[in-house]
Amino acid sequence: MTNHLPAVVIDNGTGYTKFGYSGNNDPQFIIPTSIAVRDSVGQAGSARGQTVTGNLASKRGIEDLDFFIGDEAVANAKTYSVHNPVRHGQVENWDLMEKFHQACLFQYLRCEPEDHHFLLTEPPLNAPENREYTAEIMFESFGVKGLYIAVQAVLALAASWTSGKGDQTLTGTVIDSGDGVTHVIPVAEGYVIGSSIKHIPIAGRDITYFVQQLLRERENSIPPEETMEVARRIKEMYSYVCPDIVREFRKYDVDPATWFKRHEFVHSVTKKPYHVDIGFERFLGPEIFFNPEIASSDFLTPLPEVVDGVIQSCPIDTRRGLYKNIVLSGGSTMYKDFGKRLQRDIKRFTDDRLRASETLAQHNLKMANSQDQVKAGQLEVKVVSHKKQRYAVWFGGSLLADTAEFYNCCHTKAQYEEYGPSIARYNKVFGSML
Amino acid sequence: MPAYHSAFNAPGGRMAGNMGIIPIKSKIRGPAPPAPEDQEDVIDEAIDFFRANCLFRNFEIKGPGDRTLIYLTLFIQECLQKAAKTATLADGQRQLMTLAVSNFPIPGDAGFPLNTMFEKPANRADADLLRAYLTQCRQELVTRFTQRLYEQDKPSKWWMSFSKRKFMNIASVGTTM
Repeated sequence: MTNHLPAVVIDNGTGYTKFGYSGNNDPQFIIPTSIAVRDSVGQAGSARGQTVTGNLASKRGIEDLDFFIGDEAVANAKTYSVHNPVRHGQVENWDLMEKFHQACLFQYLRCEPEDHHFLLTEPPLNAPENREYTAEIMFESFGVKGLYIAVQAVLALAASWTSGKGDQTLTGTVIDSGDGVTHVIPVAEGYVIGSSIKHIPIAGRDITYFVQQLLRERENSIPPEETMEVARRIKEMYSYVCPDIVREFRKYDVDPATWFKRHEFVHSVTKKPYHVDIGFERFLGPEIFFNPEIASSDFLTPLPEVVDGVIQSCPIDTRRGLYKNIVLSGGSTMYKDFGKRLQRDIKRFTDDRLRASETLAQHNLKMANSQDQVKAGQLEVKVVSHKKQRYAVWFGGSLLADTAEFYNCCHTKAQYEEYGPSIARYNKVFGSML
Repeated sequence: MPAYHSAFNAPGGRMAGNMGIIPIKSKIRGPAPPAPEDQEDVIDEAIDFFRANCLFRNFEIKGPGDRTLIYLTLFIQECLQKAAKTATLADGQRQLMTLAVSNFPIPGDAGFPLNTMFEKPANRADADLLRAYLTQCRQELVTRFTQRLYEQDKPSKWWMSFSKRKFMNIASVGTTM
């Protein structure tokens, strides 16, 4: 193999974009997937041939360079209009996305795209057209050497190999929970089982809202404009998953000193410090995954039940593998003991079912006057937690792009010039489709 | 994992309407059968489960014990609302005790919020029994609950924060306050 510069791995999520070079353990940059551009007033004005806005960029005719991305975009929200080009995991505005990539590569990463291979990610069930657009941007605008578009769930599976607990398999159920939505995605030997994917409208933001609500009912020291931020910080710093809420309440009663916490916050404007007592929201927050009823009135199915349902709806020969390798990915799966609780609850479902079928079979045997005993086989349920969970998708991409095979799977610039964007519709790993 | 259920759901005990007359540990006079001193009774259960159960909007009734549990849970809610206006433990004990013995509806009465789930007692004697039993339970609950609720002579905020929750979307058992 010839010497390559490391590939660039970019994971565009709804909330954050993670990018950096392959082979690294962490992404170089994690920035909000936001872009701030001048309002359409300026664009409409210049289209009519008059400069309405008096800003410098439009006078010089370089309006298209006048934008910010990431944290700078958020900081400039007052004078610019901020857009999120990615919605629900899918790219919605390709013009802005192109600008966003441009700034990512030249301003942040400062790389020469002609010299690198690129690995981009896509959500499951992404339309092939979107893949074509991506290829167009990457090859036409940036002239990249090679491009590979990987499915996020598969990358999350690959990232879990580092945990050293499971075998290195591409079969498993991925639970991807970010800020907006939680996906449960079954993957069999690298193929996403599209018909069985389920989305749950409970994720990080809902936990924050719930914690905020609990705090509002008790703490009156928090300034109203800060409650959201305080709730988010408490969620991130103190939350964990408990095995049983009643027992957890008892623990707090018996030993308040160790369980109740107190945190000092500083008001962002007046700089005045204030105290917040932190109590039951520590375990009640993440509890809404397991008992959605306590926070929402329209979605009532607990996460373990959804996962069990998803696996049961998959082809029967894949189910064992799917139960055996349930992989967590995304920031909202980071709570302590989240995996343990999930595993226990799913195990309950499968055990109940096994026992039921056992008695049923035993009953049928008796009817047939047989003395045989029926014993159902064991079903292994395993939830894999690992250290890279938060940026699992990016990390999986970084791993894959670091292998020699990656360069064989890439769509190259030569191919693009020969066939056009339609090459992105096909994936090399799937073999003879081209 | 849904809401927590009572351990006293086994059928066969004494009933009034479809509510169980569950044994309780109590020194207060009343018709309740005595429960063993060293075990948790339905009142301990109600206090213990309250903070978890009051978060739930749905509750599946599995037996007579659950009906008593629901009643007591909603009564605790009333206590919390009342306790919000009390200053000290002594004050709270007095006011809550008044609440416990004040005029309250029993299943079948017009003001009772749970008439869809609770049956009207079959005859006058049963109705009297149920009222006496509930009065006893309410008093016993107040005696035990105030010990848990008050901390350094004022209502603990770790309990008071649950006062606005609505178990099964109901706020009270209809006691006239």
